[in-house]
Amino acid sequence: MAAAWIRGKTASLDDAVAQAAGLLAASRLPVIAGLGTDVAGARAAVGLAQRLGGAIDHMHSAALLRNLDVMRGSGMMVTTPNEARLRGDLLLLVGPGLAEAWAEMPERLFSDGGRRRIAWLCPGDDAKTAGRYPDMRVLGEPDDLPIILAALRARCAGQPVGQTAVAADLLAALAADLTNARFGVALWSAAHLDTLTIDMLCGLVKDLNSTTRFSGLPLAPPDNAAAVQQVSGWMNGFPLPVCFARGFAEHDPWRFDATRLVESGEADCALWISCYGPHAPAWKRELPTIALAAAPSDLHADVVIAVGQPGIDHDAVGYLSATATIAALPARSPADALPAAEALAMIAAALPAARPC
Amino acid sequence: MLTRLTGGRVIDPANGRDAVGDLHFRDGRIVDAPPGGRADESYDVSGKIVMAGAIDIHSHIAGNNETLGRLLLPEQRYALDFVHPGHMPQPRGAWNTFETGGLYAAMGFTTVVEPAMLPHHALQAHLELSDIPIIDKAALTVLGNDDFLLSLLRAKESAAAVRDYVAWTLAASRGLGIKVINAGGAEAFKDNVRSFSLDDEVPAYGVSSRAIVKALQRAVSELGLPHPLHVHCNNLGLAGNVETALATIDAAEGLPLHLAHLQFYAYGKEGPRGFSSAAARLAEAVNAAKHVTVDVGQVMFGQTVTISCDVLRQFNARNQARPRKYVIFDGDSNGAGIVPYDYRRSDFYNAVQWAAGLELFLLTDDPWRVLFTTDHPNGAPFTAYPDILALLMDRDLRAQWIATLPAEAMAVTVLPSITREYTLAEVATMTRPAPARLLGLKDRGHLAPGAVADVAVYTPDRDKAKMFRAAALVFKNGELVVRDGAVIAQPFGRAFDVRPEAAREIERRMRDYYDARYGLSPSFLCVPEAAIGRPDPFEAVSCSR
Repeated sequence: MAAAWIRGKTASLDDAVAQAAGLLAASRLPVIAGLGTDVAGARAAVGLAQRLGGAIDHMHSAALLRNLDVMRGSGMMVTTPNEARLRGDLLLLVGPGLAEAWAEMPERLFSDGGRRRIAWLCPGDDAKTAGRYPDMRVLGEPDDLPIILAALRARCAGQPVGQTAVAADLLAALAADLTNARFGVALWSAAHLDTLTIDMLCGLVKDLNSTTRFSGLPLAPPDNAAAVQQVSGWMNGFPLPVCFARGFAEHDPWRFDATRLVESGEADCALWISCYGPHAPAWKRELPTIALAAAPSDLHADVVIAVGQPGIDHDAVGYLSATATIAALPARSPADALPAAEALAMIAAALPAARPC
Repeated sequence: MLTRLTGGRVIDPANGRDAVGDLHFRDGRIVDAPPGGRADESYDVSGKIVMAGAIDIHSHIAGNNETLGRLLLPEQRYALDFVHPGHMPQPRGAWNTFETGGLYAAMGFTTVVEPAMLPHHALQAHLELSDIPIIDKAALTVLGNDDFLLSLLRAKESAAAVRDYVAWTLAASRGLGIKVINAGGAEAFKDNVRSFSLDDEVPAYGVSSRAIVKALQRAVSELGLPHPLHVHCNNLGLAGNVETALATIDAAEGLPLHLAHLQFYAYGKEGPRGFSSAAARLAEAVNAAKHVTVDVGQVMFGQTVTISCDVLRQFNARNQARPRKYVIFDGDSNGAGIVPYDYRRSDFYNAVQWAAGLELFLLTDDPWRVLFTTDHPNGAPFTAYPDILALLMDRDLRAQWIATLPAEAMAVTVLPSITREYTLAEVATMTRPAPARLLGLKDRGHLAPGAVADVAVYTPDRDKAKMFRAAALVFKNGELVVRDGAVIAQPFGRAFDVRPEAAREIERRMRDYYDARYGLSPSFLCVPEAAIGRPDPFEAVSCSR
């Protein structure tokens, strides 16, 4: 029997579900947020948001949207972690946060004894990781990244550049290496870069393909963000955030940002889902909140339901960093835990039959 | 519950039926008229046309590539048509999975095949398929640019080894058949090769595109798969590529072969622009090659997006993107290219493409072997189907369209001189029993007792587009799902798959291969039934072995 709490006091799961359904049904604009859940949970959440006429957003949608804005603005060339590992003879790591985004990256990409050249631009805090590999070139600080990338792109195109934080001969050498790569791969974490920097990097990748082969590997944010975005893409036709308040899916990154909706008072009830870790919402304002959480002790919501960790407590479908695909993830240590998808189904079933507009 | 449709003109080419009469079904199956004749539910369809539900053999509706297309083009969804009967705004494109099922059902389609499922992305393809309501579906598994196969061929391993690998991949990915897309081209492109033809060799493997196609064709045949090898040829879209299509037809060597979206290979080099329709020549070859089937891939004017695993072709076409953006994905074997495109009436090339597709339909003589597609969304969205049927059935309508197109484009085709009009029976054959037979779906595409009660009823109209756009009634497994073009119920169908036998050793061999090459277990590409999240999501189709 799943643990549940209503206003801090232990409650039966059925009572918690009924309370949650009541709060959602009584609200004008509920928002389902966090959305750190497996594919089944994301599918259930989208269905529930549609049923409620509410908004839905993932805690890392801002990072996802940085890549997406570049993609849907001017396009992108991408490849897989497997191809980077098997074929990449030159890797261009860009910015900080890569080791955090893909914990196995050093083992997958750095450990095969010199078969590829690796350069890391502006690693920032990742300099510690970079420092373990003496053959890895490290250039620049995070603040200088936009200029360094622009200069690199210009040099690769044979244009002269002015002075940057990186010595001219080092920049020229790197540009030559990029142009001469047989299958180069740029890696970055959108959570740690801004949209224009990503746009410049993706432009460089496209430019290099006029003469050689080069591609990009965006590292996904955590909490199953990439898989949840795919779910929204196929179910809604749009990435998150999405809102169903007008009876159909609408996408607007500003209007339907969950934190903004709550802070502005437009949203008057929140359903927060976090199955992969003890993450709390970014908003400060208080409003009726239901939390489905794998680590509920830190949350002070009106209703809290303990749910399982996908791929640990129960079988799940989610994003696999090693392959950058959606894959079936069997439970590593099965436990009697309530999957978020089931909790959401119970809440949906407890809603009154017709929701007033 | 016994349902009866009375007084309709039942067109069922598979069973030689084209006459006014009744149709009965019970428990999701067509049945004989019961003696005594009491039906629980009766529909008077006098004056209407009754056919089996239509089957689309090649339409890109589900998978990571399709979702990339959706994410790339939000503007297709912001452009809204308020035409839906429920007055919900209807996006012009980039339809989500729920919209896809409803839009197909409204036109009387009850089965659709996703033709390009990448093995490493099979689970996502099936998840998306499972969120498409009403229709039954299937997916074809893509091979031909994968290291394992190319390595087998380089090492000159046995046909049995290829067979086992194909069987293993089909079973793991739950595909219905095998698709090969510019065999070797995607792999060659990773080695910076920029053009790739049937007799070119993949660097590092020394294996030709032709050899890959032949090896897969042989494996498909020896496994007894119901669907022939489904081939996307080299050189798509290039002037003069009719030679590639003809060479590929020859390469079939008497064994079954299906050529996808043939219109995109119907180009010659004649005329002042060095680009012309060669569809007449191609149609003649198709007519003579009785073991070859094709689907047309008709182009229609308007904004769309091209979604294709032919990475090389899409990369080469990237600068024609309209709007000017694209995604090129170098996947683990085949990948994808997503390139938006706007086919324009005023564009010489697009007008020739439009004509070439119609020429293929009208100059071929066997509706059992020439199937009806737009290679959605690559030639046009599937919602253009009613308009294409109208053009096939009405030569005056064709003439009206031709009059609006650049004369110099029509001058390099023979379309203006073609007077043939498709009959209802030919339309029915092409869209029902022909695809059913080609997919091994013995109880679909026809209306004999025992067939699944997938039934489409149309109201005849001089305007054939109107007739086919909004079916009067559509039954799926005997349940009424569409009335007057509006979806009234959304049950979920199933995905068909084949489970050919493979030698036991292949499991171990693939585990060892994935461990050695990727340092991973191959379990990531499997499609466990429990992961789909719907009851009973699959239905096995039998092999002939």
